[in-house]
Amino acid sequence: MTLTLSEAGLNVVAGTFGRAMKRAGEALGSMCGEIIEVQTPLVRRCTAADVLPMAGGPESVVLAVYVGIFGSLEGHALLLFAPEDAHRLAQILLAGLLGPGELPMEVTDDVLVYDELELSALQEAGNVTISAFLNELGMHLHEPVQPTPPQVVVEMAGAVLDAVLLDLVSDADQVLAAKTTFSEGGRAIDGTLFVLPRADSLRVLLDALGAIGI
Amino acid sequence: MTLTGNPSLLIAGIGEMVVSSSSDSHLVSYGLGSCIALAVWDPRTRVGGLAHFMLPNGPANASSPVKFIDSGLDTFLRAVEARGAVVNRSILKAAGAAAMLTVGGGLAIGKRNSEAMNAALAGRGLSLTATALGGTAGRTVQLEVVDGRFLIRSLSSVTEL
Repeated sequence: MTLTLSEAGLNVVAGTFGRAMKRAGEALGSMCGEIIEVQTPLVRRCTAADVLPMAGGPESVVLAVYVGIFGSLEGHALLLFAPEDAHRLAQILLAGLLGPGELPMEVTDDVLVYDELELSALQEAGNVTISAFLNELGMHLHEPVQPTPPQVVVEMAGAVLDAVLLDLVSDADQVLAAKTTFSEGGRAIDGTLFVLPRADSLRVLLDALGAIGI
Repeated sequence: MTLTGNPSLLIAGIGEMVVSSSSDSHLVSYGLGSCIALAVWDPRTRVGGLAHFMLPNGPANASSPVKFIDSGLDTFLRAVEARGAVVNRSILKAAGAAAMLTVGGGLAIGKRNSEAMNAALAGRGLSLTATALGGTAGRTVQLEVVDGRFLIRSLSSVTEL
């Protein structure tokens, strides 16, 4: 299906996604007990190739938490961190859970290696963040939106994103990509949330928002 | 052995192809996941091409000429021949087609890409002499036009195919 969406329709989607992304940032912040600054979301209608620079380029290495979205709105969500930032976030989350001095983490020299507790904490961070996004969106939709269980991968950003992009472009030339950056200034943690909805799902959202036909 | 350096880099982005007969060209595709890169190199004329295919089948697409294997393969092979390669005597190698995400089970496009590439080449009497297909790791690939070396980098290693 071709993504036929007017500029006005795109603005409605951008506004709604923006509010939902702010909720997502707040959820991540309350999970780690820190204030998270949420950048103004960028919503673009673009080709698959144009999405990769939004993630820092195809070869930049990221820890990605992937959550598939299904139900009345379908698509994909990814929470991306630079490998070092993901370690720092995992440490904050685990310190909150286990208390100081109880971290059983093994420190390795390889920044791309995470122990099971870290992976589990990061998976949960992705789950909470993306669920908050979907809950906010779900307030506008009459049918529920469901996330899949989260999956964590450490990979080149291009390799993670192309699996998602290929699913979206099989019958469309363009995708709608929404992105925001979460920043925790004190410990210098930046995360990027991507949401890539299926084109036909956007109709459902616009309809629910009373914006169909604009 | 590195994937970057002084030679001129020609980059085949997602759905794009690059072709060169220049001995200082390195043809590169970055961050392949489920996509599949096909490298063609003619040892006699030293002409090389690299295409970054996205999906098994779909209609020809002017803005992304090699988006689909079935409709884009001939476009790519013609472009390589137009630069002076003879495909029938060329060396063909492919990499990519990994399964990055297993959630939902619906994203196993890598396997379909791999099968489609083999079938499309076989239908033209061609075959791959070396492959690095499948698995769960992302790959960056580089074809060195001067000697046909085909290098593959993942997060953990660099190998020559």
